[in-house]
Amino acid sequence: MTERSSEEQLLEFLYACPVGLLECDAAGEIGMMNPHAMQHLLPLAGPRNAGNLFSALEQHAPELRSIIAAFGSATGRVCDGHRIFVELGAGRRTAAPKVIACTVVKLGPDRLMATLTDISQQVVQEQRLRQADTWFGSLLDGINDYAALTILPNGRIVAGDACFTRQTGYDVADVVGRDLSDVLKTDASGGDLRLDEQLFLAERDGWHLQEGWQQRADGERYWCQRLVVARSDCNESCPTGFSVVLRDVPRRAAAAEDLRRLLTRDHLTGAANRRHFSQVLEREQTQWRDLRHSLSLIVLDLDHFKVINDTHGHPVGDIVLRRVADVCAALLPPRGIFARLGGEEFGALLPRYDREQAIGLAEDLRTAVAAIKVETQGGILSLTASFGCATLDEAEGSIDVLIALADERLYAAKHAGRNQVFHSEAYAA
Amino acid sequence: MQEELGFEAVSLHSLDEMGDVERDTLPFGVVGFAADTAVQVYNATEARMSGLDRTSVIGVPFFEAVAQCMNNFMVAQRFEDEPEIDAVVPYILTLRMRPTKVRLRLLASADTVRRYILIER
Repeated sequence: MTERSSEEQLLEFLYACPVGLLECDAAGEIGMMNPHAMQHLLPLAGPRNAGNLFSALEQHAPELRSIIAAFGSATGRVCDGHRIFVELGAGRRTAAPKVIACTVVKLGPDRLMATLTDISQQVVQEQRLRQADTWFGSLLDGINDYAALTILPNGRIVAGDACFTRQTGYDVADVVGRDLSDVLKTDASGGDLRLDEQLFLAERDGWHLQEGWQQRADGERYWCQRLVVARSDCNESCPTGFSVVLRDVPRRAAAAEDLRRLLTRDHLTGAANRRHFSQVLEREQTQWRDLRHSLSLIVLDLDHFKVINDTHGHPVGDIVLRRVADVCAALLPPRGIFARLGGEEFGALLPRYDREQAIGLAEDLRTAVAAIKVETQGGILSLTASFGCATLDEAEGSIDVLIALADERLYAAKHAGRNQVFHSEAYAA
Repeated sequence: MQEELGFEAVSLHSLDEMGDVERDTLPFGVVGFAADTAVQVYNATEARMSGLDRTSVIGVPFFEAVAQCMNNFMVAQRFEDEPEIDAVVPYILTLRMRPTKVRLRLLASADTVRRYILIER
């Protein structure tokens, strides 16, 4: 032991450290890093420079650069456990989707220290706990506020309790024999499940819980948790009816809404972040598998964006990204999700959109992006973007294939001269 | 003769047949490890580049304790998946905690127990 120098012991310690450590300057240029940090950065960097923190993370966590730039203090903790969602799809599903937590501390005007830790397993556990929490929460919270109903497999109401009348304003005697979905006027336009779809899932799984807008007798809309449980008599394999529990859930308070925005939005543009995009994708994939709801994806990439950054600087580039996100998000349908997927790459997720509808919307987005004008010191700046679309049907339900197909078509649009939506193969599928 | 012992030319079998003394004279790093990744060969050039002494590295699991930067699909996973490899890959290592561009040569063969990674700075 004594023969080994203390320097060698220190190196040995750093080589074996199971957490990524690195030090870089304000521009992200890495001075020192241990092997564990490189283990994560090198695959994320792809063809980009793995020796610079910001360029290595440009695809998966472009927000990190702006979070650090926006940090006002001379020193201190810039972010703590900031989550980087590496995979959008479920991948090969042999392991948990990879999530890396990044903590950055500012040590001086030109000196940053960062840690990178793989927290994939922890995130999977959190998700499981959250599901169980929702479930037990809905069972235990304010048990008196529950309206209970019995319906037949065809959706017709057999019986209801007094709370049903209090919650919805309907007299039970007036609605017996009517279809529950007609009574509640469930808002399915945005992609929520219709009652018959929910019954189908409850029959298969035993129960199903969903949230969405419904209407009271006086026309007022309210946010309702709807639990459907299949009932069967003795040995019947088919359900003889369903118990339905309705709960009036006041919309989330402002503080919770802030937290939600923080967790689901991209720091710079306000578009959805990769994490949220990935969660919605998985939810929609389940609905595709269960109910064959169509789902389309549009990916777009700004043309020659690097030139904008190089010519006008990152602040102008940031304005451009914000304007694109604003303009595009405004054109999306209510259930659509507009997300920032990478540096200058965005994606629109469109539940219940088929290929033609997606291409139509992509054309509208293209026109809107081309109409953006940004004032700079060097004059008016305009820009264009290229687009690729794909549907989950074409991808046979695989998220990875869906993204790969859309990307492929995006690059075909780039090669064909940019500022366009890739169109051909329209009738192939 | 010299040609055959170059970074790209040297064969897995001749590396296996060399003694430690001969491997120490090679101008590139040589790491040999077993199927369980425990290090069996660590030549002088590699010890100099990494700053680690051979005696402290021999026997430890290579991808976990010494070369975590190679513990991903680009290197470690390939040894899991491919029984036969002879590939040169450009890579970045963190020798003495400095990001350093290197070339790696990955060597594995179904009829040889020991696998090798050669490192050229």
